[in-house]
Amino acid sequence: MSYLEIKNLEISFPTPKGKYTAVRDINLSIEKGEIISIIGHSGCGKSTIMNAISGMTIPTGGSVELMGKTIKGPGPDRGVVFQNYSLLPWMTVYQNIYQAVDAVMKVSKKEKNEIVLSNLEMVNLMQHKDKLPGQLSGGMKQRVAIARAFAINPGVLLLDEPFGALDALTKGTMQLELLKMWNLSGRDKTIIMITHDIEEAIFLSDRIIVMNDGPASTIREIEHVHLERPRNKIEFVKTEEYITLRDRLLHLLTDKFSVEDMGIVYKK
Amino acid sequence: MSTDTLEKESKTKEAVKEVVNNSESSGKTKIFLSKLLAVGKSILFACIGLLLFGGFWSFMSSYTENQLPGPEATLTVLGEMLADPFYDYGPNDKGIGLQLFSSITTVLSGFLLGSLIAIPVGILMGASKIGKQIFYPIIQLLKPVSPLAWFPIGLVVFEDTGMATIFIVFITSLWSTLINTAFGVSSIPQDHKNVAKAFGFSTWRYLRKILIPYSLPHIITGLRLSIGVAWLVIVAGEMLSGGAGIGFFVWDSWNALSLEKVISAIIIIGIVGLLFDKLFTLIENKVSYKA
Repeated sequence: MSYLEIKNLEISFPTPKGKYTAVRDINLSIEKGEIISIIGHSGCGKSTIMNAISGMTIPTGGSVELMGKTIKGPGPDRGVVFQNYSLLPWMTVYQNIYQAVDAVMKVSKKEKNEIVLSNLEMVNLMQHKDKLPGQLSGGMKQRVAIARAFAINPGVLLLDEPFGALDALTKGTMQLELLKMWNLSGRDKTIIMITHDIEEAIFLSDRIIVMNDGPASTIREIEHVHLERPRNKIEFVKTEEYITLRDRLLHLLTDKFSVEDMGIVYKK
Repeated sequence: MSTDTLEKESKTKEAVKEVVNNSESSGKTKIFLSKLLAVGKSILFACIGLLLFGGFWSFMSSYTENQLPGPEATLTVLGEMLADPFYDYGPNDKGIGLQLFSSITTVLSGFLLGSLIAIPVGILMGASKIGKQIFYPIIQLLKPVSPLAWFPIGLVVFEDTGMATIFIVFITSLWSTLINTAFGVSSIPQDHKNVAKAFGFSTWRYLRKILIPYSLPHIITGLRLSIGVAWLVIVAGEMLSGGAGIGFFVWDSWNALSLEKVISAIIIIGIVGLLFDKLFTLIENKVSYKA
């Protein structure tokens, strides 16, 4: 029995044209402390799977079980980082995290305050705690969102394209930032993230789930990443493992690698 | 390095600093001056507008052979009215200040009562489809009705003209607030709702920390529009009800054939309406946030 079990998951939505099946036959066992990436084309049901784990969507078939218990709705044992940060713009950085902690945790006010501050410390945003989200850069906003998710101390962290909107440099820093948080919390948090970035997926994950195209998409393949941790941003791309994995993933996701594949005849 | 050169260096550094400071302060004065210029310009243009209007008014006055009093005669009467605004010589002869006070009290009572109903109902309409389906048809039906049509109903129910006037203001204040509140609440982005869902916000926390802060700018806009219309309606309402208020004052002055007083009252009504609007615009800016 694994920590997180997805069994025969099927999610469909009623539409005016009839039933639309987003995903089906998803089976996945995830261990505690694992980092998993889900990769696939847009509309392949990645977010649907995430929503089923977070409890925002109730499966129409099969089940998602966390520590043997079927997930029936959102809960404090799962923290979510949304793609577009989803901070509340009328609240300070501190309040954004505090409200989540206050809603979820049953400890004294003083302890809640300490939790917020220590998480702000971890993402180096202490000096910005009284700013409004509108005054922050994209990377800083995402750090707040990550701090908020970590603050409620969930066993599972769900990240939906967390760094998709960031520039390449900030993205690299944020990946390390995420791994730092994971390490600081004892490497026992399970992280499941959606990404479009193959390098990011290899750098962060233990396993990479490749999805088929929708509708009614399923898992196409699961790739294991055998790279030693801690991984080094510069060194890991030079390893045999990375190069094979990247080629494999590229082949799974696309069949066009050069303009010649697209019918252009290149004359020298 | 000798102390001499050190000293020299620190001096040059200071000099550099001074230059920087100077340019900074001169930059600030520049900004201040340009702001002053902009304000001066807008005042100048407003004055041109007023002059044009005054000219037209004077022309109309002389065209009607002073049947319509001109600016000068009106301003003299306005001055007299404002010199002793709070006199009270019985029910039909009160100073303009007292009349205005009476009107403002009536408007605020009706507006407050209306808002107390309109905001919660608006939230209900915005938050739930069923709420919208229940209330929206009534609103569509009653909104286009002139508030004055409600006056007889107010009279029958309350058997008091003062209460009936408050009642029509109450009815008037409902619509804009209702519609704007409902719109604000119904347009809460899914992202914000997802935060509440993912972090298990209670209904109370959702209301206080997401729904209200998000829709507050819309609610205030609704209130601003409502009080504007309420202030429009009060004049007509008091003409009907009589007895007190700025509307009654206008009607009474017309009956006494003092058009100077009528026009003075119009000016005062305009200014109070403008102040209400400015007040709510101020609040609107206070509660709006940058996304």
